[in-house]
Amino acid sequence: MTVALSKELELDAADSVVPRVLLVGRPNCGKSSLFNAVSGGHARVGNFPGVTVDVLTHDVQLPGGGSARLVDLPGTYSLEAHVDPESDEGHARATIERARRERGPVVVAQVLDSTNLALNLRLTRELLRLDLPLVLLVTQRDVLESEGRKLDVALLERTLGVPAVWVSARGADTKAVVLGALDRLLSRPREHREVPEFEPTELAASAVLAPGAARVDGRLKLFKRTAAIDRWLMHPLLGPVAFLGLMAALFTAVFLVADPASAVVGAGVDLLTRGIQAVLGTGAFSRFLCEGVIGGAGTVVQFLPQIVLLTVALELVEASGYLARGAYLVDRLLALLGMGGRSFVPLLMGHACAVPAITATRTIRDPRQRLKTILVIPLMTCSARIPAYALLIATFFPGLNAGGRAVLFLTLYALGLVMGAVASLVIGRSVLRNKKSMPLVLELPPYRAPQPKVVARAAWRAGSHFLRDVGTTIVAVSAALWVLLSVPVGKAPAQLRPDVPERTQVMSRSVAAEVGKALEPITRPVGFDWRINVALIGSFGARELMVSTMGVIFGIENADADHVGGLPDEIRNATTGSGAKAYSMATGLALLAFFLLACQCMSTLSAVRRETHGWRWPAFLVAYTYAAAYAAAFLVFHGARLFGL
Amino acid sequence: MSQPSASELPLSTLGCSQPARITAFALERAEAGWLQALGLYLGEEIVVLRRAALGGPLHVRTGVGGEFALDRRLSAKIHVQPLAGK
Repeated sequence: MTVALSKELELDAADSVVPRVLLVGRPNCGKSSLFNAVSGGHARVGNFPGVTVDVLTHDVQLPGGGSARLVDLPGTYSLEAHVDPESDEGHARATIERARRERGPVVVAQVLDSTNLALNLRLTRELLRLDLPLVLLVTQRDVLESEGRKLDVALLERTLGVPAVWVSARGADTKAVVLGALDRLLSRPREHREVPEFEPTELAASAVLAPGAARVDGRLKLFKRTAAIDRWLMHPLLGPVAFLGLMAALFTAVFLVADPASAVVGAGVDLLTRGIQAVLGTGAFSRFLCEGVIGGAGTVVQFLPQIVLLTVALELVEASGYLARGAYLVDRLLALLGMGGRSFVPLLMGHACAVPAITATRTIRDPRQRLKTILVIPLMTCSARIPAYALLIATFFPGLNAGGRAVLFLTLYALGLVMGAVASLVIGRSVLRNKKSMPLVLELPPYRAPQPKVVARAAWRAGSHFLRDVGTTIVAVSAALWVLLSVPVGKAPAQLRPDVPERTQVMSRSVAAEVGKALEPITRPVGFDWRINVALIGSFGARELMVSTMGVIFGIENADADHVGGLPDEIRNATTGSGAKAYSMATGLALLAFFLLACQCMSTLSAVRRETHGWRWPAFLVAYTYAAAYAAAFLVFHGARLFGL
Repeated sequence: MSQPSASELPLSTLGCSQPARITAFALERAEAGWLQALGLYLGEEIVVLRRAALGGPLHVRTGVGGEFALDRRLSAKIHVQPLAGK
């Protein structure tokens, strides 16, 4: 069974009798690939430094009959250099330190990349200084052998005084070879080890041999090919254009494929709803199931194709080695926005959905930059804002033709970016001013072909995590909101008005409506009445729910995110109790400003909580985006009224 | 923190494809230690492959084959000695 440990990396004291094997290595050395090969494959693998962001464990049966627990630690360059204790690398180091102090059997297995052995042997020198049994698992055998080179494993063992094996993560016998080496190490009595003196560059030059056991002359084809590709893709002018163009094309393609898939999923959800109504009728329980539970779950499930396809796209770019180069290419551009190159992909993904984008910030090594990126991503115009924007534009700008609407949409996208830049600068100079930022220092791995199996596993993991972690939150919140919108407060009137749908009349007396009315003193200054307040409460869990909540409020049954139908007319013609027009264009502009900035997404907050290990930053995110949204709505509303809108 | 000698220059001003050797870090001990852990050691041979536009990072390769993106301001604090005859 493979288990993802929490950040604390607590290795259960109760399990201390099970020998633990700490898998250690430089980022991008092939450690996770090897873990996948031995465990049957559940660790995330990529060609971008620092992709093992959760610590995975896997219990294995050893050939000698015993068992051991493999612990795949995040990549670490050094055990002795200063690192942020809160970073993944810092946690990995803390785990090793704790293991040293514990009494249970613990061994260290260092994974080394044989195509760049000298770099990897520097860490070996530090590991040898630890008082823990050590075995070297040297990988990339297939790459080295494909160029006729070989590794003198015996020389490594003689020089370093520790056992070593040379494997390929894709090899058929890899699991047996690795487990055999671990078994032999664990069955040996623990003895004091002299730390050998060696020069990593010299040892690597002696251990990696060309045909005929000659010393290697010249670089591997892998690196020569990388240099040839880089001449074009890393060109100072062509490089950024190609990267931005490629990413835009990739994400457009994702949407082109995801949209029909989402529609199919949506149709499936509709079918299920109709099936339940056919069986259970249209009573309260059936409505709760259909609108509250399945309505919420359906909203989530329709994002699944996007999440899975985005993960596949990102994995392909990352596994190829191009993502690290993208960070180099756009670093300067993002520095203008107060961020760095590694923030680029998460910000780009944020235009589709903030949830996977926030997860993708794990590749940002600088904790300050990572936190800043997490806090700014929710300002990017995600696809869930689109239904709300579409409804508001159709309602308050009815005279606009398709071109005018497209311009307005693009303006909203641009405003999202501008507000993100502003927020990044303000957050960097206020709440995060005491956190020191790290300049870009990033290892650029050689280009490699992505492994389809690994990409597929990553997509599966992303999809199942999304459904489990996020889906449960949305279902719970939307079910609770349904109850609040459906349970009336006080006595019902003797006779219902025949001209207003019953649902709307019940809604106007619901708990949520009462809350909406109670909020009017706060929201009146920005032009919102109780109905808009209820829609905002309804869309707190997921902003796209605003459309269906508005639909129920205004008596339009079956209003959903994709078919705004007659709802714009209903909203535009809504009146106050005195018969005056309830909303103006100023209200619409204020609502757009509010939706642009407010983080109305429980899934996003849940993702932020998961990534920041607490509720402090999600609470800050809600506070700052709602405060900014309210201030912007206020300014826009009164500004628009000055112009007579 | 070390001072460069007359023949040394900051990595940020080293010409592309000109091999050099890292001689000093004008950085705090922790930062210098981090760079060395990554693979940019004192005495290591280094070559600038290219520079990103608009003052962006440097793309460098070390003698043992590691390639890195390095922030331009950071690279100004890495002193190198150009290698003659290479």
